[in-house]
Amino acid sequence: MSHIVLTAKPVSRTVDCRALLPLALQGKTVAEIAAIKLAANLSVSDAFEVSLDSATEALKLTFKNTTSSHQYIGFGMTTGQLVVEGDVGDFLGAQLQNGVLICKGNAGARAGDRMRRGMLLIEGNAGDYCGSDMMAGTLGVLGSTGAHLGYGMKRGTLLLAQTPAPQATWIDCGFHKLPFLNILYKSFKLLDSRFAQISSQRVQRWMGDMGGLGKAEILVIQS
Amino acid sequence: MIINGVEIDDTFAEAFNMRGTRILITAQNLRWAYNAANAMTGFATSVIGCGVEAGIERELSEDETPDGRPGVSVLMFAMGSKVLMQQLETRMGQCILTCPTAAAFAGIESEDMISLGKHLRFFGDGYQVSKQIPDANGKLKRYWRIPVMDGEFLTEETTGMVRAIGGGNFLVLGASQAQVLTACEAAIDAMRKLPNVIMPFPGGVVRSGSKVGSKYPKMFASTNDAFCPTLKGVVKSELDPRVESVMEIVVNGLTFEDIAVSMKAGIEAACSLGKDNGILRISAGNYGGKLGQHHFKLRPILSGEVTA
Repeated sequence: MSHIVLTAKPVSRTVDCRALLPLALQGKTVAEIAAIKLAANLSVSDAFEVSLDSATEALKLTFKNTTSSHQYIGFGMTTGQLVVEGDVGDFLGAQLQNGVLICKGNAGARAGDRMRRGMLLIEGNAGDYCGSDMMAGTLGVLGSTGAHLGYGMKRGTLLLAQTPAPQATWIDCGFHKLPFLNILYKSFKLLDSRFAQISSQRVQRWMGDMGGLGKAEILVIQS
Repeated sequence: MIINGVEIDDTFAEAFNMRGTRILITAQNLRWAYNAANAMTGFATSVIGCGVEAGIERELSEDETPDGRPGVSVLMFAMGSKVLMQQLETRMGQCILTCPTAAAFAGIESEDMISLGKHLRFFGDGYQVSKQIPDANGKLKRYWRIPVMDGEFLTEETTGMVRAIGGGNFLVLGASQAQVLTACEAAIDAMRKLPNVIMPFPGGVVRSGSKVGSKYPKMFASTNDAFCPTLKGVVKSELDPRVESVMEIVVNGLTFEDIAVSMKAGIEAACSLGKDNGILRISAGNYGGKLGQHHFKLRPILSGEVTA
């Protein structure tokens, strides 16, 4: 296995990154990765510098210097760890199937859209429709969240450090100390992320989206 | 063989193949972890009448438990996998789910994983929540969060089931009931310091050893008259005139070595009281060697020929 690092080059267009997943790039050479087409007239080498560290045991992919132009990062990811050192555009971790996706910057709209499993951890802010139509898994946001949080969300957990704006289709279930959070936080401590610093098991719990199945939860961490 | 004036019989304990599992039980504090574990391991002295044999293996510190709370580990044994699964689910539902603040986690890994909270989740009536969280090795584990009146009941979905051994034993023969009981208490104290074993009877000690069969056709086991001191002279007794009391310690464990090591520790502790304190002989229970798959020979074990 290898740790692949993609350092973004300045671009004047949006970059669809859905082809760039830890498992999909495993076993490929730098040249092979650089040749992957991201659009009809855009290859990886046009948008990223590629480097490879074959010494690592982990299935890991890191994006550096990304901006809001980089969309669909981690789309449909099934395994491994994906770290984004920068801001990202829309659909971060959309349809995530499994694995851990860490974004150290801000995310655009529809982060975690239709996510089914795994962990998506956003250290910065998340845009509108964060967790929209999410089916399961854990989506954490340390910064602020935009409008229509958890829109159509069916199951899964939104773990927030900041209280979101009240929403008509989410029900406040009160304040609780939840033992499972200790296990979740233990798994965070294995990550190079600010999420590793969370320790409070006391949360405010909301259930929703009552416009749909209503079995998802928002947990707002209390200090 | 004589240890501290105590004769060691040239005999063996006869033990059986069993299926075993380990469950980690945590709670807000040790008091409630013990309340849950004591309930779960209650009425679990013998598979003959209880279905399973279970006991508390040891206390766990906050660092040793998945959720960072104090807890205890429980070992549970049955003659077959089906009974073990049934009993585990029943005891989880009646003893752990019901106990305030208690949570349950897998205590052993195996290719055979059996339900811990997998079916119990339906108690949540649709409000149960599944969480898959990676452990320290990155392996995903599924937990169930079930809403209950004190908050949330947390349980891992499955725990491992392994091949194990039940029925390791030894008998302490002495000059009085009080002296034999004191020796057995010392033995149990020593054995409880060791991992991977439990002594399932009350306080770890059993006073009603049995033989196969009975004069009554419907009874398949009855009192071990050869070791009953009040029947000396009436039956073909194993006891000499000095012996007034016999007690047995039964030990179940995950491996042959675990049981052998614990038997050695227990016998040595019992013998440490010596002949001067009324401890006269150590023997063991067997069925002639034809029923059990494992034979724990007392003298080789005490000579240190079996080590973990």
